[in-house]
Amino acid sequence: MTGPASSPLIFDIDLFVGCGETLLVLGPIQSGKSMLMRHLVGLESASSGTIAVDGESFDPTRPVEKELRAFRARVGVLFEGSALLRRISVLENVELPLLEHEHRSRPRARDAARELLAEVGIEVDDETLPVQLGRAGQRRAALARALALRPRLLLLDEPTLGLDSQAAHEFDETLHGLQKKYNFGIVIFSHEIRYAYAPANQIDVLAGGRIVARGTRESLLESNDPVIHGLLHRRERER
Amino acid sequence: MSLPVQSGDAARRATRESFLTGEFTVRPPRGLRPGGRFLSRGRVALGSLHWMGWILVSPRSVVSGGVARELDALGVGALRLVCSASILVGLIATFQVAYQLKQYGAESVSALAIGWFGTREVGPLVVALLVVTRSASAIAGEFAAMTAGGEIDALRAMSLDPVKYLVAPKNLALLVALPALTVIADGLITLGGWVGTTMFLGFNTRFYLEQIRSSLSTSDIAIGAVKSVIFAFVIAVIASDEGLGVDRRVAAIGEAASRAVVYCLLGVLAADTLVNAVFYFIPSLVL
Repeated sequence: MTGPASSPLIFDIDLFVGCGETLLVLGPIQSGKSMLMRHLVGLESASSGTIAVDGESFDPTRPVEKELRAFRARVGVLFEGSALLRRISVLENVELPLLEHEHRSRPRARDAARELLAEVGIEVDDETLPVQLGRAGQRRAALARALALRPRLLLLDEPTLGLDSQAAHEFDETLHGLQKKYNFGIVIFSHEIRYAYAPANQIDVLAGGRIVARGTRESLLESNDPVIHGLLHRRERER
Repeated sequence: MSLPVQSGDAARRATRESFLTGEFTVRPPRGLRPGGRFLSRGRVALGSLHWMGWILVSPRSVVSGGVARELDALGVGALRLVCSASILVGLIATFQVAYQLKQYGAESVSALAIGWFGTREVGPLVVALLVVTRSASAIAGEFAAMTAGGEIDALRAMSLDPVKYLVAPKNLALLVALPALTVIADGLITLGGWVGTTMFLGFNTRFYLEQIRSSLSTSDIAIGAVKSVIFAFVIAVIASDEGLGVDRRVAAIGEAASRAVVYCLLGVLAADTLVNAVFYFIPSLVL
């Protein structure tokens, strides 16, 4: 993210994902994927534009806390590396959004947190800390936290980065099972080419802060654009 | 560059149920501390005051457990350091004061100075400086690590205020722990003074206690405790702000910890100067 202070970092991004669909934002490292995701939940302010999820919107140029709060209640976010709070237990991590947004009582929030963790395939004690779960377990616990408010849209930043192929495959299966069950939209921000071969309804290729290509896996595979070709044909070269 | 966008894409969007739509252009962040350090510290201080009030009126809230945890880490954890350092400070003060007064043949009144100066000035200041070295770097480092690891962003993305969940419990714990540690330190400085006065200066215990009794009043201890409350607030706000205001780099953790110690030391000394100046220019405030 270098350059003159006044020059834009991400340009004219136009994203769309429907109910129960998966959008993959595929791009090399440092292409602006994480920055883009941060903007989608109002963690950064943009110079122009609009963002809306299921009727709730906020002005990304001047995010207002009240609007953001309503918006964020509809969006679950899984950050790269899980981003669970390390000093509190896994259950408390999952309880937090329930206590804050739904004002549930502590016992009810705890029961709901246990159910959410069971849905993502985790069983923990009251005192289990995130560090005791291992990387794959932490990712699943973070997924449970992201789904706590039953969001309409799930944003995932490099969701399986650092997991072995078996754990990554199992995570994908859990994710898609939950998507089928709850019908939420998913936007995956990743540089991992394997997602291009997963059941994404649409792939947006991000490079240099711009969407340089958009389409289905089949249409993009036919592209002669060097950036797209370099990204999508990497798997064949790696074989 | 032409985009290989599927034909009919726009029409598809118009008719489908819309979930996420967005079009925007992004400029680089204008710096991590909009408005500079003073405004940033002010925001943390005001937010912290607000959420501490909330914790006090909602003692069964989700963050109340955090206060107990922080009290254990920041207060009980510092007890051994404060105790050992305070006895040494008492001894140092005895030798230093006796050495100066010896020139005037007034060595015997050194206990008067230890009792008065120890509780009003040395006790709160030494405890604050010990807590700065032990806890300010830990607080800033912890928050900077949380920023680098995305935990702060995760809180914000859930509309959870980091000041409420992270800063206010630490601030409240320090506001309780520092005055308590200061009172303990006052006692141990006096104990160190007793050791020095009786073992090295050759005065007896009764003489020392009489000197302390005549020089020390409850108001001295109260003034020391009030100072330590101010120091606690300064340490919590500066260390937290330094930790939360870093960018998302691992190297920023060490930088934040170092800066927190430096700014907290300066902050504590500045606050102490201010309090002493107020007492000097408005003597009626001195109890």
